[in-house]
Amino acid sequence: LPAGLSQWFPALEVLDVSGTGLTEMGTELLSLPCLHTLLAKNNRLGGPGSLPKGLGQAPLARSLRVLNLSGNRFSEVPPALLQLRGLRSLSLGGNRLHGIPPDIQELQSLEFLYLGGNFITAIPPELAKLPSLRYLVLCDNKIQSIPPQLAQLHSLRSLSLHNNLLTYLPREILNLVHLDELSLRGNPLVVRFVRDLTYNPPSLQELAGRTIKTRNIPYTPSDLPESLVRYLSLASNCPNPKCGGVYFDSCVRQIKFVDFCGKYRLPLMHYLCSPECSSPFSSASQSSTSQSESDSEDEASVAAHRMQKVLLG
Amino acid sequence: MEQPVQTETWKAQSLEELVRILHQIFAEDKVSVEEVQALMESYESNPEEWLQYAKFDQYRYTRNLVDNGNGKFNLMILCWGEGHGSSIHDHTDSHCFMKILQGNLKETLFEWPEKKGNGEMTKKSERVLRENQCAYINDSIGLHRVENISHTESAVSLHLYSPPFNTCNTFDQRTGHKHKVTMTFYSQFGERTVC
Repeated sequence: LPAGLSQWFPALEVLDVSGTGLTEMGTELLSLPCLHTLLAKNNRLGGPGSLPKGLGQAPLARSLRVLNLSGNRFSEVPPALLQLRGLRSLSLGGNRLHGIPPDIQELQSLEFLYLGGNFITAIPPELAKLPSLRYLVLCDNKIQSIPPQLAQLHSLRSLSLHNNLLTYLPREILNLVHLDELSLRGNPLVVRFVRDLTYNPPSLQELAGRTIKTRNIPYTPSDLPESLVRYLSLASNCPNPKCGGVYFDSCVRQIKFVDFCGKYRLPLMHYLCSPECSSPFSSASQSSTSQSESDSEDEASVAAHRMQKVLLG
Repeated sequence: MEQPVQTETWKAQSLEELVRILHQIFAEDKVSVEEVQALMESYESNPEEWLQYAKFDQYRYTRNLVDNGNGKFNLMILCWGEGHGSSIHDHTDSHCFMKILQGNLKETLFEWPEKKGNGEMTKKSERVLRENQCAYINDSIGLHRVENISHTESAVSLHLYSPPFNTCNTFDQRTGHKHKVTMTFYSQFGERTVC
């Protein structure tokens, strides 16, 4: 960036330095108090010093709304970027990212996040702590699974997951009631009924934990070692409505198919506390062996109807 | 459309002229596919002439009507953000011309699924269309998916459909199952359509 930029153009609001071969953006940025849009795509940014030090203290941290760094060479999200607390729109498409830092949750104003075309293998559950996120693009990566916590993104309108390595989705995805668009093509989604038969019986610790939880045995932090208090707080509820039990580490993973308005069948993964539990998707059947591929999916169908445009095909 | 005895070689100097010549061509009883394709390709994209129709949506590609060809054809501009793509679709027995005005679009051709088909659809070919190129497809050629595979650039394309249609079928690539959909316009003649 040319020295003296902020002296010549102190009122600068939009700066587009795309396609200029930039390898770093220096301290000139720190003195631009009105800058709300910075476009720096198709450059050679990515090394140390790509973004100036002290970004978090600059006026930019509050004023910047839109940042486009697509088509550069970032192999990780630069920590300095996470200090831009006013950021609403961030694009890092077409870089070399291998992951998403959990501290992405610092960008609390984020509404638009484009991370397509990288080498991302996993999504941190912390991504779900972005309450205003409406548009999330993760297409063309190497993602193998979606954390169920993503269902907490209540504002999400559009989710782009095409061309990844997904074999199933978490059942919780049905909770995203505002989701209008979901793209899933180009994923090796399982098409046949799959049942994970490798069920490891629960440990004694797990059995004790389950008993405490289901029988509401009272305890206080002074009764137990801290590690066990923490363990007990991690109990998950079995989705089987007839069970009402909990599980910790030992559970049965099961993939069920959900019809979306009679159009597409999506494999959704959910967890049950034991093979004897039946899923919330099946009707009366109790025995695991009698479940068939075409279980009635009342609860799921209602939720699925809300998703208007599942772009699988 | 059938082959007339002699095809004209047109050169459209502007978008307005392109529309004018299209009206002229389609006023005839017989229209040649090659003629229309050559005409569309001859127009050198000038953003100043079509910027008013190029309205982008954050979440998906948009269809913006430019001209309704006296009922003979629909001319529209499609705007594709980064990563935006269409489903696999047919063209309801109509002719479809697609010219790139800006950026690039990947077109993947598919075979029609078998009547009783319940398997993965067969890909025939794929190509990336560059600026000013014009592609043509109709139902006898096959089905296609169009997508902007760029993560840094948006794309704009000019489409001509004759006769006009507002419903088509989309197909699930994994099973070949089809589903009828109604298409809508994001804007018409430069004005945002409020639904």
